[in-house]
Amino acid sequence: MNRREIILGGASAVAVLGATGLSAQQPAEVLIGAVYQMSGASAQVGVDAQHAFDTALDIINNAHDIDLPLAKNAGLAGLGGAKVRVIVADHQGDPQKGRAEAERLITREKVAALIGSYQSAVAVTISQTAERYQVPFLSADNSSPSLHRQGLKFYFRAAAHDEMFSKAMFDFFDGLRQKGHKIETLALFHEDTIFGTDSANAQQKLADERGYKIVTNIKYRANSPSLTAEVQQLKTADADVLMPSSYTTDGILLVKTMGELGYRPKAMVAQDAGFSEKALYDAVGDKIEGVISRASFSLDLAAKRPSVGKINEMFKARSGKDLNDLTSREFMGLLILADGIDRAKSTDGEKIREALTATDIPGERTIMPWKRVKFGPDGQNLDADPVLLQWTGGKFVTIFPQSAAIAEAKWPMNA
Amino acid sequence: MTLQGLAQILASGLLMGLIYALIAAGLSLIFGLMDVVNFAHGEFLMLAMYATFGIVAATALDPVLAAPLVVGAMFVLGAFVYLAVIRHAMRAKANIGMVQVFATFGLGITIRGLAQHLFTPDYRSIQTSWLSGRTLDVAGVFLPLPQLLGGALSCLSFVALYFVIRRTDFGRALEATREDAGAVALVGIDKNRVFALGWGLGAALVGIAGSVMAIFYYIHPDVGAPFALIAYVTVALGGFGSIFGALAAGLLVGLVEAVSATILEPSMKAIGIYAVYLVVVFMRPRGLFGNL
Repeated sequence: MNRREIILGGASAVAVLGATGLSAQQPAEVLIGAVYQMSGASAQVGVDAQHAFDTALDIINNAHDIDLPLAKNAGLAGLGGAKVRVIVADHQGDPQKGRAEAERLITREKVAALIGSYQSAVAVTISQTAERYQVPFLSADNSSPSLHRQGLKFYFRAAAHDEMFSKAMFDFFDGLRQKGHKIETLALFHEDTIFGTDSANAQQKLADERGYKIVTNIKYRANSPSLTAEVQQLKTADADVLMPSSYTTDGILLVKTMGELGYRPKAMVAQDAGFSEKALYDAVGDKIEGVISRASFSLDLAAKRPSVGKINEMFKARSGKDLNDLTSREFMGLLILADGIDRAKSTDGEKIREALTATDIPGERTIMPWKRVKFGPDGQNLDADPVLLQWTGGKFVTIFPQSAAIAEAKWPMNA
Repeated sequence: MTLQGLAQILASGLLMGLIYALIAAGLSLIFGLMDVVNFAHGEFLMLAMYATFGIVAATALDPVLAAPLVVGAMFVLGAFVYLAVIRHAMRAKANIGMVQVFATFGLGITIRGLAQHLFTPDYRSIQTSWLSGRTLDVAGVFLPLPQLLGGALSCLSFVALYFVIRRTDFGRALEATREDAGAVALVGIDKNRVFALGWGLGAALVGIAGSVMAIFYYIHPDVGAPFALIAYVTVALGGFGSIFGALAAGLLVGLVEAVSATILEPSMKAIGIYAVYLVVVFMRPRGLFGNL
């Protein structure tokens, strides 16, 4: 914007104000702060999240004939039709910057609530800051189970956490065992921040309980220049199932290095993150035909929930991509948060918190495979059923649980 | 661990080490020439990778054939950066060291920001090339062809550098300018010209590394950072300004990384590198081959 545009803009604003006579009835704007990584290694996640939020804002601020919360009328009815605006802040993947940005959004931008943040490690500091200022934080796409166990009152998560996801994986393994498949040994491969370690701990626990042997458990350094030695260890172990918990960069390097070292895992079941990203499948999808990833979302749900297709089209028009596991949760997260503010009829943190606690949205009114959205006392939605997807022929197909499955799983992926 | 497994780890470590050395060579060259540490070195690497990706995407040329174009472009970029930025930073009256640090650091951040704006932060990778995904199997030890090419080019580059520095007029001018930038003016050597060529050469070296790495690594605006960090350690370990020290140190870093990822927990493999670095700095503060 150059100087002339600013002056013109200011002049027209004054004209508009004059015309409407500064009517006090104009509903105020409700601000929500989104803390995401907008620069650095995972910046694409932040950029995509912004498109998801813009799609959600379109639903909230305009009238749509879609069966989702807040779609029917324009703006928040509970606040006299107030529009919602999202302010995006960049946490750069750094928990300390996440804390600072959350604080800035609350104290300077006066946001009514926060949403975030992809990396679980950053969600820890954001959730604690939100708690201190008594502002609700909706954890849209963080999956670490330790987040809702911090004893926070202003923390909410509508989606599943890694223990629920890992449980779905082991339920799936149990089912395969009953059908006569041999699954004895597992190899864990996880990155060294809270996401990877929590995921591996959950998997270790479930494996012990259900009688699977973990033959190797590799904790690697995130964004390593090389993963050769790590993959060599995976190759030596040659477990029945390789279970990676990796972000996109490491996921791509893992698959490329496996190819270079001639290691074809018998089966791969991934803890989402990088393995739900289009970039990974663009880069190495052909090398891992049949890989399975847990997910909160799948496009073939459109067969059961018509809103999925419509929202996907709206999102795709903005981003050029299909909704994925992350963007679907970000979209839904913002709707749930705005729905809470709408019912609170206030932008006061405590009132919004109370309204969110009373949330009860049936699964049919979401774009997710969830049974419903209802937060427990720790802020976790226990009815967020995860699904398992298999990458076949260039797309994801839901294979688990039976109620959502579109196809039978191909097992093992490399026979 | 089997003997074969051990051989694999050593071979992979050496191949990676040769690439680390190649990345560090340009950094070391520039430092040796004019005592400037280029904190935008990782971004140079990133630009070379994007340039390779761009040429491959636009012309469907194989990345191996695109490499000479990329290296040429990086040479021009390096010389341009010297003339447009560094030359002015060196005119500072006070605190010249800090001015240079901030100039290159700021340049790095600017390049990264521009890359994110222009190329988007999405991850790219080159899908098809003659070499990608192809591996040489030597008695169960897998040697990926792209890394082999990287190693070979790294060795060739060091041989070529040796000849350029020791046997050509340009090399002698480089050495002389580094000894006394004021005195060379008296014998008709243009200091700025030598420095610009030095920067061009340094950037071209990292361009070679970038165009090979684009075949087997993912590409995004921040891809240079972890490699640049290793390059700084490599240069300090080998001795500031010693190009062949960079070769030895690069190999050492590659090996130590591979071995410590195997015997320690892989998340701690960087500790091995820094432990060796600390030991060397304690015993020999100027680095393995430093002559400062």
